[in-house]
Amino acid sequence: MEQYQSMITRQRKWMFYLLALFVLGLGFTPYTSIFLGLLLGTVLSFYNLWVMQRKITRFGQAVAHQKGTAGIGTFTRLASVALAVLIAFRYEEYFHLTAVIIGLMTTYVVIMIDFMIFRLRY
Amino acid sequence: MGALAAAIAIGLAALGAGLGNGMIVSRTVEGIARQPELRGALQTTMFIGVALVEAIPIFAVVIAFMVMGS
Repeated sequence: MEQYQSMITRQRKWMFYLLALFVLGLGFTPYTSIFLGLLLGTVLSFYNLWVMQRKITRFGQAVAHQKGTAGIGTFTRLASVALAVLIAFRYEEYFHLTAVIIGLMTTYVVIMIDFMIFRLRY
Repeated sequence: MGALAAAIAIGLAALGAGLGNGMIVSRTVEGIARQPELRGALQTTMFIGVALVEAIPIFAVVIAFMVMGS
């Protein structure tokens, strides 16, 4: 259980670092629409990560205590991605669409890099 | 035609995600039921598996909405 909790903490930490980096980029560089897009994508990606962590924790608890559970939130995550793309289309002048898509993939990059580092170290 | 393309993209993505997640969840439930002390390791594997499975459907949703919007 410790391994899972430490993985969750590490991933959240890296996501906060990335968000802070994008906010700095937004404040100190002239590429406003790109960094706004990255921020939008990363915020919704972070929400996806949070939903996934919470649902899987609850799922594990439910299985261990032999109780029922209500899914693992796949459609919530797909819907939040759809929301990000819709916002990017609606406010096209503020958000760079490619940056939003790259931002949406941040969670997966963080998960994979964290997993590889963890496997190499232990 | 754009709506049809988007519907096919999201439908196939949901089908793939459903099949993949179903396999992962069933194996995890089996594992935790047999060895509850391995719950942490199994949850970690499940988490990474679910993340990998869902990356492609998320791309499909993005592409579907781009097709709808263009």
